[in-house]
Amino acid sequence: MENIIDNLVQFWQFTGFANCNIQYLIMILIGIVFVYLGIKKEWEPLLLVPIGFGIIIGNIPLFPGLQVGIYEEGSVMNILYQGVQKGWYPPLIFMGIGAMTDFSALISNPKLLLIGAAAQFGIFGAYAIALALGFTPAEAGAIGIIGGADGPTAIFLSSRLAPDLMGAIAVSAYSYMALVPVIQPPIMKLLTTKKERLIKMKAPRAVSQNEKIIFPILGFLLTAFIVPSGLPLLGMLFFGNLLKESGVTKRLAETARGPLIDVITILIGVTVGCSTQADQFLSSSSIKIFALGALSFIIATTFGVLFVKFFNLFLKEGNKINPLIGNAGVSAVPDAARVSNSVGLEYDKKNYLLMHAMGPNVAGVIGSAVAAGILLGFLA
Amino acid sequence: MKNLRYILVLCSILVSLSLSAQQQSAMRINEYLVTNTADFQDDFGQQNGYIELFNTSYGTVDIGGCYLSNDPNNLKKYIIPRGDVLTKINPRQHTLFWADNQPFRGTFHVNFTLAESDTVYFVSSDGRTVIDKIYIKKDLPENITYGRAEDGIGSNNGNGEGWQVMERTSPSTNNSGVDAESKSDRMGRLDPYGWIMTVTAMGVVFLALIILAIIFTYIGKMSVDRGQRKANKAAEDKGEKAPAAKAEDYSAEAFAAISVALHLYIEENEAHDEESFTITLQNETRKYSPWSSKIYGLRQTPQLKK
Repeated sequence: MENIIDNLVQFWQFTGFANCNIQYLIMILIGIVFVYLGIKKEWEPLLLVPIGFGIIIGNIPLFPGLQVGIYEEGSVMNILYQGVQKGWYPPLIFMGIGAMTDFSALISNPKLLLIGAAAQFGIFGAYAIALALGFTPAEAGAIGIIGGADGPTAIFLSSRLAPDLMGAIAVSAYSYMALVPVIQPPIMKLLTTKKERLIKMKAPRAVSQNEKIIFPILGFLLTAFIVPSGLPLLGMLFFGNLLKESGVTKRLAETARGPLIDVITILIGVTVGCSTQADQFLSSSSIKIFALGALSFIIATTFGVLFVKFFNLFLKEGNKINPLIGNAGVSAVPDAARVSNSVGLEYDKKNYLLMHAMGPNVAGVIGSAVAAGILLGFLA
Repeated sequence: MKNLRYILVLCSILVSLSLSAQQQSAMRINEYLVTNTADFQDDFGQQNGYIELFNTSYGTVDIGGCYLSNDPNNLKKYIIPRGDVLTKINPRQHTLFWADNQPFRGTFHVNFTLAESDTVYFVSSDGRTVIDKIYIKKDLPENITYGRAEDGIGSNNGNGEGWQVMERTSPSTNNSGVDAESKSDRMGRLDPYGWIMTVTAMGVVFLALIILAIIFTYIGKMSVDRGQRKANKAAEDKGEKAPAAKAEDYSAEAFAAISVALHLYIEENEAHDEESFTITLQNETRKYSPWSSKIYGLRQTPQLKK
């Protein structure tokens, strides 16, 4: 009888209940909120549901040494986490993004590329503020990239510059990407006049297939020569796009933008969520990172909109750009472009800005990958 | 077409060969000691001259099968044994060979000494390509090494460029002091507020995207011109005068509208070549259905018709 009681006591010590503390419960609650937001509110469900459930998985209090935790070498979760740690999930996602992105809007109106560049101020604004808050330059760079509004890039860069902060950075980046429709419209409205919001842009011209094929090749050569450290992201992005546009690799393009990106999204979502173990995640740094993430989105949106207003000073009447597409310079594709469109429609029911906003939106993807390469080159 | 395939196969072989050679060619002789009386000891507790190799690349290099020699007429004098895990040199790491003329002591003991050598050669696994060579400095004092001022930096043609008499011996480790300050630390020291980084990085981002924008502005113009020329030619063939087209004439919206119209027309007229292979089941509300009629289950009585 005594042995049975001993066994039961020992078993109790193995359970999550015995190892639980308030931190784990808070994290599990956060995970449930993420799942709720994903399912009920449909805020980026493809990201928030896997990340949310990953948070729940990662915060089951464990008896150490069972080789099941994500930070225990050789465990299943640890093996799946290697794609995040070693940074090979993000380039694969970028290949899928390339294979599903139509750069036509950008090719037909190349000056929209500059809006994508201007929005990268969000990254470096947050970088400077993070430095002032006492983060090291490497950590500040990893935090700043949240302003690029690009989850894979944030994971890729933080895995190299600040692996300890990766969980908080990834969750922050994806959360704010989901919150783009909430964060951006007030800033856009605040910084524009009614007259500016009503600007109608010229319809983009049709782009030939040759142009679409040349774009990924030239785009890659140019950006990679300037920032070789961005090679994995830029290479895979443009390669994926070439698969799409070449017209002869339909099956590969279908796989890249379909099953492959879905598989990687599941793995990256669950493992990033899982990596937010309470003992590693709940700290004052995480709170600062969340605050800086919000700030970087605000700065990026502000600079995107203001840059368009500035740019318009040099453009002839008829060629002017609606500043409501300035927000799309952050690379949350296509949510930021959708926000441009919906805000535009609030003021003019016939002013569809979606196609125009897709230009700076995809330029933002290129811009954030270039910015990540620069940070990696300077700080890694 | 057949020739093209041969060329492709040939290119692949050449590329794979060059890759293999590239890996070994990343190795450099980095430091040597001729007379060792009070310096580093080998595993047998012996003090002998040594040759240090350095992997300059950021990938692991297997030097198994390569050669070390001190004889220009016999570049294959000492073969580094294959299959020894220790001959896989990690990125930016060193390895040490004892020049003690006692090869039976293991992989890292060569069959010559430096005192009897004029030049030492590191030779590729093909036995012909000299990857690096360096002359032996005869007036080198005891327990003083001759090496590259910075690991792997300098010539590999034996003229000694980048080499110097070392202040201290550094077998199997960096010749110059390792830079203790990381890039991040350096950036923190030089740019504590992040302004330099912001200006530099934004400059580069803008530069990259401005160049891309300029290139594609011109490519776009060329494409529109090309389209116009084609239209002109087609019109000329028909004996008509082609209207001057502007960029706006090639509106994506117009093409989208035409595509939608065609799509709707084809769908509505079921003019498609391939079936959708979709089976739709609908509830049959009628009470009577031929499926339930017994008449179809019965063989009809044959009737003789006259």
